[in-house]
Amino acid sequence: MVIRVSHLHKSFRVHRREAGWLEAARSLWRRDYRVIEAVKDVSFTIEKGEIVGFLGPNGAGKTTTMKMLAGLLHPTSGEITVGGFVPFEQKPEFKKMMSLVMGQKSQLIWDIPPMETFLVNKAIYDIDDRAFRQTLEELTELLDLAPLLDKPTRSLSLGQRMRCELAAALLHRPQVLFLDEPTIGLDVHTQENVRRFIVDYNREHETTILLTSHYMGDVAALCDRVMIINYGRLIYDGELSVLTEKLAPYKRLEVRFSRVPDMDWGEYGEVAEIEEGTVVLRVAREKAAGTAARLLERFDVRDINIEDPPLEEVITRAFQEERV
Amino acid sequence: MIRKYIALLRMKYIEMLAYRLATFVWMTGAITQPLITMFVWMNIHPEESDSFVFYFMAVIFVERMTSAWDVWELDREIREGTFSNLLLRPLHPIHWAIAENIVYKWLFAVILAPVWLVGAVFWPPLRPHMTAGQAVLFLAAVVLGAALRFLLSYSCGLLAFWVTKVAAVYGVIDVISLFLSGRIAPLEMLPPALREWSEWLPFRYMISFPIEIATGAVDGGELARGFAVAAGWMAVFVAGVQWLWKAGMRKNQAVGG
Amino acid sequence: MNMRRYGRVFREFFRACLVEEMEYRSEFFGNFIASFFGVGIALLTVHIFFYQTDRLGGWTYGEVLVLLGVFNTLRGFIDFALRPNMPRLLEHVRRGTLDYILTKPVDSMFYVSFRHLVFWRLIDVALGLGVIGYGLYVERYVPSAADVLMFFVVMTASLLLIYSLWMMLMTTSFWVVRIDDLSFIFDSFFDTARFPGSMYRGAVRFVITYVLPAVLITNTPALALLGKWSMAAVLAALAVAMLFLWASRRFWRFALRFYTGAGG
Repeated sequence: MVIRVSHLHKSFRVHRREAGWLEAARSLWRRDYRVIEAVKDVSFTIEKGEIVGFLGPNGAGKTTTMKMLAGLLHPTSGEITVGGFVPFEQKPEFKKMMSLVMGQKSQLIWDIPPMETFLVNKAIYDIDDRAFRQTLEELTELLDLAPLLDKPTRSLSLGQRMRCELAAALLHRPQVLFLDEPTIGLDVHTQENVRRFIVDYNREHETTILLTSHYMGDVAALCDRVMIINYGRLIYDGELSVLTEKLAPYKRLEVRFSRVPDMDWGEYGEVAEIEEGTVVLRVAREKAAGTAARLLERFDVRDINIEDPPLEEVITRAFQEERV
Repeated sequence: MIRKYIALLRMKYIEMLAYRLATFVWMTGAITQPLITMFVWMNIHPEESDSFVFYFMAVIFVERMTSAWDVWELDREIREGTFSNLLLRPLHPIHWAIAENIVYKWLFAVILAPVWLVGAVFWPPLRPHMTAGQAVLFLAAVVLGAALRFLLSYSCGLLAFWVTKVAAVYGVIDVISLFLSGRIAPLEMLPPALREWSEWLPFRYMISFPIEIATGAVDGGELARGFAVAAGWMAVFVAGVQWLWKAGMRKNQAVGG
Repeated sequence: MNMRRYGRVFREFFRACLVEEMEYRSEFFGNFIASFFGVGIALLTVHIFFYQTDRLGGWTYGEVLVLLGVFNTLRGFIDFALRPNMPRLLEHVRRGTLDYILTKPVDSMFYVSFRHLVFWRLIDVALGLGVIGYGLYVERYVPSAADVLMFFVVMTASLLLIYSLWMMLMTTSFWVVRIDDLSFIFDSFFDTARFPGSMYRGAVRFVITYVLPAVLITNTPALALLGKWSMAAVLAALAVAMLFLWASRRFWRFALRFYTGAGG
């Protein structure tokens, strides 16, 4: 067990600011506070080598939890251990065994080449020359960094920068890797590259990875296990496939006609979309095959497609539930 | 630790090269105010023009050597959240700032000292009359002044964990120091009350004190007392930074950055 | 140029910026205090100088205060209308968004120099006028109607001069794009205008009197209000202002030709 979290709480006191001259003046000496509970009674464990997807709408408490795991935030109550350390104590040994990559914040130094940041990290993390050379070689190959290393960071594209960002975070071979929105803003092709890298790296080094992302593609490609957090509460923790079955016990039938018959589709399934030449129906899983056969038999169907509901839809449903 | 410093210094040096134009502009930008002040004093006491020239040129030099910009850096880093990047790594963030200061001040010294030298050849008022002992004490006082100003600036920067306008707070302190550190007037020109204040507050030791050593205005018991007061403030600032750091970490871990 | 139309456009800029600034009204107090603090410090500085002497370059304490007031008023105007626009022009040039401005049916030089206004800086103008009043009181001098009239004439010339110099500096941003803010160059030069020009010596005095007329900008209005004006000086100030305005206009045109030539 690499990560253990039990009964984790985090609440913030925020200053309530009111509009208007008088209120602004008044708030100079009297402030109103409001308590926001960002994380409520969250417990989970993560084993060595797992990749876990951490999902939730904006403001659900994902990043707060991740910051507590990385030691940047102190829990209001509850316990966390990561690799046997208590993160908020910020011991150097703890910092050396983990890494946090934030898609929106860069640890690379803006106006100089990434290689310089790597060299600084080498010294700061006490990486010896041989290990550094080896790791850098491996990462350079996996992430195709060779042409990037000596260009100023500011001149790199977002995707190139993220690749360097990952390398900078992995130079000291952390056993635990926290990825907060690692693919945000990247184009589809680069997203895919980053995903493939994460999977390969995880397999190769048995690194434990916890990942948050807005892109369901990331989650589908990387994680067998997902945790869903909403309003600060952990509402689901388990396999992704189980979640899909539970929340979306239907398949999508996309049927294309030469001309869409004007009729009531109720007896076949629930209409999800209907447009020029195409009808999309939601049909219970076990009835999907039969319904398709009946449709083919009775109508002039040009094409028919049976697929799982898109993950976005499943997750959106999950976010609406109190507990899954 | 030495290896870490070598790596940091190297990186900061390369970073500085990337900003060389801005660095140069920034270095020269601080020159006008002392120059104007110099003209004022030369006008008030024309018979002492030469000593004012030496004094204000020395102000330009010492002011650059002890200047501190860490409050703006810290303020920005804490506000934008990039400070977390430094916190995540197993090295105290203050070392980054110290390394940066060493690199920039080394550069200033390397540029300004030869300029002074050339100036002194052609312009007699710039020639210093220092014994070797004075020179050593002068350098020691400059380093002490740089450390004091750095610590003051860094502790103000740490206030960014609590308040949003630390730059304004530091601005007020800086303006006070304008008078009490000897930038507006040599301290001996100040009204007696202000002058007495200046001896007990830290600002004199950031600029005026090294120059007083160079011109021989202080020696003997007064010199020893000056170093003692400066050392006292040094201890206060070190304790202050440590305390602010601990409290700031608690605050930051409580509210996030 | 149709003056009424430009008056209307300026009023619109004014309104847009006022709305924008009302969003941040909580900063008002801080800015107010900062302005007071700044004037207080300037007064204290002058006071320290006069602790050692009773004349500065031939000017008495009260006269230097009037000069300081003029300086503060003019700087208030710079910070109100000119300074906020400097970084924006650099940004426009760097990102190529200047093209949008060039396609607008308003004079581009007018647009880039007045689009953004920072109102609370008008406090500095008010404080500057206050310091002028205090200086006159210390000097026990009541300006005649002619003095005041001449004061306004040369103040206008000074504002035109400042605008022209500022504009020329700003125009260099077509070539010097690496520095974020060139305004400190102007500040360095303008700071010399805080004191009587007669205080300076040698080459510095020559430069700030004849080449970059910092001295002219503040000293002439102060002298006018103190009744020490001459028709010749007033006309000279107006002539110099017109000359610089013409030069800055030419320079802007030249830069635009360079910009469109290089960009297109």
